[in-house]
Amino acid sequence: MIVDLVRSGLSPSGSRAHWFHTLQVRPRGRRGRSNSDPLGGTGCEGDAFTWGPGLQFRAAQSYLSLEKLGEGTYASVYKGISRINGQLVALKVIHMKTEEGVPFTAIREASLLKGLKHANIVLLHDIIHTRESLTLVFEYLQTDLAQYMTQHPGGLHSRNVRIFMFQLLRGLSFIHQNRILHRDLKPQNLLISYLGELKLADFGLARSKSIPSQTFSSEVVTLWYRPPDVLLGSTDYSTALDMWGAGCVFIEMLQGAPAFPGVTDVFEQLQKIWTVLGVPCEDNWPGVSLLPNYRPEWFHQSEPKQFRAVWKRLNQLPHKTEDLVQRMLTRVPTDRISALEALKHPYFSTLPPPIMHLKDMVSIFKVPGVRLETEVRDIFNPGRRIKPSLLLPAAKCW
Amino acid sequence: MHLPSNRSPASEIREVRCVCPGCSLACVVSAMKNPGAAESRRLLGLLDGALVREARLWKVPVFKNGRIQGADISSSQHQEMILWLGEMSRLFQFCPETFALGVCVLNRLLSTVKAQPKYLKCIAFTSLVLAAKINEEDEVIGSVKDLVVRSGCSFSTAELLRMERIILDKLHWDLYTATPVDFIHIFHALLVSGHPHLIPSIGLDSGVRWDPAPEPGALPASPGHQKRPSDFQAALWTRQVQHCMACHQLWQFKGSTLALAIITLELEALTADWFSVVTDLLKRAQVDSVEFIHCKEMVDQYLHSLEFSLPANAIYIFDSAQIQEQERACSPVQHLWKARRGRGGGGSVQGDSDEYYDGFRCLYDDEEVNQGAEGGDVKHLFDPQQGKDVSPCPPLHPAVN
Repeated sequence: MIVDLVRSGLSPSGSRAHWFHTLQVRPRGRRGRSNSDPLGGTGCEGDAFTWGPGLQFRAAQSYLSLEKLGEGTYASVYKGISRINGQLVALKVIHMKTEEGVPFTAIREASLLKGLKHANIVLLHDIIHTRESLTLVFEYLQTDLAQYMTQHPGGLHSRNVRIFMFQLLRGLSFIHQNRILHRDLKPQNLLISYLGELKLADFGLARSKSIPSQTFSSEVVTLWYRPPDVLLGSTDYSTALDMWGAGCVFIEMLQGAPAFPGVTDVFEQLQKIWTVLGVPCEDNWPGVSLLPNYRPEWFHQSEPKQFRAVWKRLNQLPHKTEDLVQRMLTRVPTDRISALEALKHPYFSTLPPPIMHLKDMVSIFKVPGVRLETEVRDIFNPGRRIKPSLLLPAAKCW
Repeated sequence: MHLPSNRSPASEIREVRCVCPGCSLACVVSAMKNPGAAESRRLLGLLDGALVREARLWKVPVFKNGRIQGADISSSQHQEMILWLGEMSRLFQFCPETFALGVCVLNRLLSTVKAQPKYLKCIAFTSLVLAAKINEEDEVIGSVKDLVVRSGCSFSTAELLRMERIILDKLHWDLYTATPVDFIHIFHALLVSGHPHLIPSIGLDSGVRWDPAPEPGALPASPGHQKRPSDFQAALWTRQVQHCMACHQLWQFKGSTLALAIITLELEALTADWFSVVTDLLKRAQVDSVEFIHCKEMVDQYLHSLEFSLPANAIYIFDSAQIQEQERACSPVQHLWKARRGRGGGGSVQGDSDEYYDGFRCLYDDEEVNQGAEGGDVKHLFDPQQGKDVSPCPPLHPAVN
């Protein structure tokens, strides 16, 4: 029903002003492609340029560090501003070990991102490399999916889940076409702009799989998002690795809780998965018994369960949602749906058709009718209630 | 080589349906069972991607009077350096792709900056370290300091790190390129998937039965077949291409051309059916045929001068001492004649010779224009009688079985 309203251009009254109240409210329409432009585009350009006559890319003094956004094992991330053009940027300051030089994560991330320009991949603006430090300058996005889900607990609006999933799969499809595996999908690495644009970030573990029969380490991907074949020790994984992670993120957005959480080692993680999908055997996964960590006797036997029985939110949604999740969270990697196929799944058929034919660099929010819905719950705005009249049809839609 | 220890026939067979880069055996099995349109599409996509990267980033130093233009580095110094990088790569147990990427980085740098000979070793070593940081899993790389110590080099880690910064800066951090080794793997996979009838003749069929639908119970019984036979051929070609990368006359050829030349030389010798296969690959790889022929000759020459081409029972027997001088004057046609002589022997081949000849004519058309001085009827070169006075070496298959 909401879909119909939006399509006919009648957005629900009152929602437009705070259609995405969680972040900055900003008039739409005047925006360019980049979402890291704090001064709102053309109007302020004159000012911005007076900031930095003579300032150049690849120079440290061209960027002003504002506040620390996060700290990782291999880098600290700061919000910053470019003195060249006034754009907001994210400054990823790489910790340099004096003995080791540039960490391999930074080299891979920078050299892979050099070749990847896509609306759903974070944009690398600049690299500042001095004797003491290395800073990767990215476009600035306001939040990430992990923070967004924390802010809106209990599961996201089903239509927003669809919009995020579409963008996640669009980004994955693009990198997979370019023979790149992300290898570290998780909500923290999916950046989100105030508009709802989702971008894959953190390519530090990513690899180019440019030749057939290449094998890799099985020590990749945060445990919760690691597929069963890799948990079992397989090293000849490919794009299906990222598809499992995407499936886990899908469930997490719907449920508001991770799909397979809270365990400490590989075997517990496998048990979590088998509890839902059943312990595999040669009959349903030929070759599984030859994988190094395959010890069926170590696992409690469990029969495969219906996804909707495990993840209750699926009960409230049309069957095609569960169908797509099932195709992504499939034990046998070669049976897992590809990102490109997933984009064509009926689950996405309610999105406006032009969304399927965008150029790489064009955001899906350029397509009329694509916009983020107000989330039902918001911890920053707990008093706010959605009009019952809005909530009801939405609930029916589920 | 980077062979997984835990590979199972069954898991590979599952890969047949894989839409993503899989293993080459899967391609074999897939090709045997069904011509696998999806698999070919995937591999062709891989090839196209590699060609795009090569076109964008491939660059080698220009030599003038035996020295790199603008620098005081001689071709033999350069060559030595690449051979040394090969040693280092083996010492550190890096995979051939890493060595190849290191050499590509080195060559790109030398063609971008004017390097002094005293820094050459440091540049080369740093190129390899950068390639390893990109290509190897971190558990393989180890610490940079340790690598420097093990290399026996006299430069310090600080110097290496300074060089690392220079290289990244000069090459704009744009290091992912397609190397000759990548092309070997891709062409090999294309061959086994697109031309399954070649499999027995190019040593891919080692007599191991690969049943695509094995009895589940039978699986654990055959863990011994983990090393895929098709890997043998790819590994051999990889070794050849690594050797060729150290030859300065061969640098001028792109990795795609070089890889295809190596594979063609082998196919020529092993199968009567090579011509259509090679033309197909040439077309797909958009390799210029004149350049290709030139490259193939030089590869042939070089590999024989190394007495390396195949293990134990080599296919051609040439007087390697004479080749150096002879080849310079040798026209492509004469060269092919030699190649044919090597392949000859079987009576069944004779009947097809006209067809081959026409094929050569096509391939060599441009060359012949240039070589007009040779004039006359080149056809006589292909006269089977001509080969009579030279004892033909019977074609020998590589020792796979």
